[in-house]
This record gives sequence, C-alpha cells and structure tokens, in this order.
Amino acid sequence: MMTLVPRFARGAGSRAIAAAIFTVVLALPGSLARADNAGGAASPVEEFSRQLEAFQKSVPDLNKSIQETAGTIDSATDVEKARAEIDKLRETVSQLLGAVSDNGPVSQMGVKALDHVHAKLKELATGTRFKPEERQFLIDQWRTLEVQTEAATKELDDARAQFAGLLQTLQTNEDFIGELIEIRQAQKALEVIRSLTHDIRDASAQLNKLIGGIKPPGV
Amino acid sequence: MRRVLGLALSALIVGALIAACRPGGDSGYVEIKTVPVAPLTQTALYIDSAKLAPIKKGSAILRERVGTLKLQTDGFGGTLAPICDIVVRHNRITTVTVSVLERPPRCQCRYSAGDAARTCVS
Repeated sequence: MMTLVPRFARGAGSRAIAAAIFTVVLALPGSLARADNAGGAASPVEEFSRQLEAFQKSVPDLNKSIQETAGTIDSATDVEKARAEIDKLRETVSQLLGAVSDNGPVSQMGVKALDHVHAKLKELATGTRFKPEERQFLIDQWRTLEVQTEAATKELDDARAQFAGLLQTLQTNEDFIGELIEIRQAQKALEVIRSLTHDIRDASAQLNKLIGGIKPPGV
Repeated sequence: MRRVLGLALSALIVGALIAACRPGGDSGYVEIKTVPVAPLTQTALYIDSAKLAPIKKGSAILRERVGTLKLQTDGFGGTLAPICDIVVRHNRITTVTVSVLERPPRCQCRYSAGDAARTCVS
C-alpha cells in the first residue's frame, strides 16, 4: 500500500509536466512573433496604414475649416453688416441721450429735486416757525444741498452735451465710421485666412509624408 | 366668461401702455440752440403746440417722435407763428439754431433739406 501511492503520484506528476510543456510549445511562436514586432520597426504596410489613417482624420477638419472660413469671409465683406453695427452703436448712444435729454426722466428728476430745494429755502426765508438760530441752521443745510444738487445737474448737462456730440459725430462721419468697421472686418478675414493657410500647409506636409513613405518593392 | 374677457382686456391695455411708454421706440432728438446765449431764454418756443420750458444756457436737447415737427413762436393775437420745420429721424439728432434777437425769431439749420431752406434735417 505504501509503495502504490508514490507510484500513482509519480504518474500524475509526469502527465502534468507533459501538458505544461505542450502548452508552452503551442504558445511560443505567437509570443516570439509579438516580441519581434514590438522590438523592431513597423512593417511598410502598417506604417502606410497609420499615416493614411492620420491623413484621413485630418481631412474632415480641413474641410470644416474651409467652410467656416468661407462663412467668415462672406460676413466680413457684407456691407450691410457694417451698417448694422453703426445702427447698433447709434441705438446705444441714443438710449443714453434719451435718459439725460432735457425732457428725459433723469433730467426731470434733477429739475424736481432742485425745485424742491428752492421751495424749501423760500419757505424757510419767510417762515416764522423756528428760532433764528434753528432757521439759520436749516437754511445752511438746504444751501449745501442746493450746491450739491446743482453740481449733480451740471454733470447731467455735461453728459447730455457729450452724448449729443457723439450722436452728431456718428451722423456726420457715418461713411468714415462705416469704412473703419469694414477695415476691422477685413482684418478679421485676414486672420482666418492665415489660420486656414496654416491648416492647409499642415495637411500638405502630412500628404507629402504619406506619398514619400510609399516604397514599392524592388524600387 | 365675463371675468376672463375683462382680464384679457386689462392685459391688452397694460401691454399697449407699456409699449407706448417703452424708451427707444421710434424717436429721435432735436437740439435747439438759441443765440445770443443767455442763462434762460425768455422767448416762447413751441414744438407743434407743446410749449417748451425756457432754454437754459442757450441749449436744449429734446427727445421727440419721428416725423416732421413745427417749431413755432408766439404770433399776433394769441396764434402760433411757425418759424421752421424740423425733420426728426430714428436715433438721430437734428440741430437748429434760433436767433431770438430777431422778430420773429429766425431758424438757422445745421443741415437743410435740399428743397426747403426752412426745413432742418439731421
């Protein structure tokens, strides 16, 4: 009984070793081939495939850039767009002027505030409700307010004159301002053309690399 | 049903009022300059039939509806005497200088319409 067990064990061990060797032999050629590919240069077919893939990937981007550039150039050469920009500018200045115009809401507020101060001063000057020192104190306070309110309304006058001047300038120099806006648009167009040229140059370099890499056997 | 109609009508009226009062509608500007410059110009001036507040320091800028307005002054027998027309354009300013020393006051347009010297344009 003691001798049978080791014999059985020896038999099972040799079978296992044989199976392991068989598996290693089967797997070896694939592993060796992979090791060969990883260590050495890619084959010409693989290299061509890789470059072609890279080039094909870049082509849709280039087409998109060309389409976008065409759109930008169209809008840059659109005179109506320049006119619309002047109109927008005029609208902005006009709204500001509207607020501070003589019959605008802000000016009316200033007029009301000043009228109120004047009415209070008049009332205090003729009134007998307060002792002389109290009255003088209140008059001094209202006079300070009067000076400050007048200064604020003067600032409104300045703003009014400034916005009116801006609107006049926009009107009288409309053609010149239009030209300036068109120049700005043309500069933008130049920027996008430069960017597109750069993209095209990159694509051309990739294409050259791709074509240069094609080496037919025997050449 | 009546309540719903009433609400709808109220909403319509409020909407119309908001639209009417909305700043930046179809309006432009009139700049009136008076010469000689005085702290307060006493000559009465009217735009159409609305009397203007006395002009301070020889200049006033007014927001007005787009169209052709009449600048007028007091005439004989309580009537208004037109002195010139002012064409107001959207978001533009029309400048008119009024010589108040003359009787009746006289308009000097910064820019005149080609066919009418007494019509000021922007």
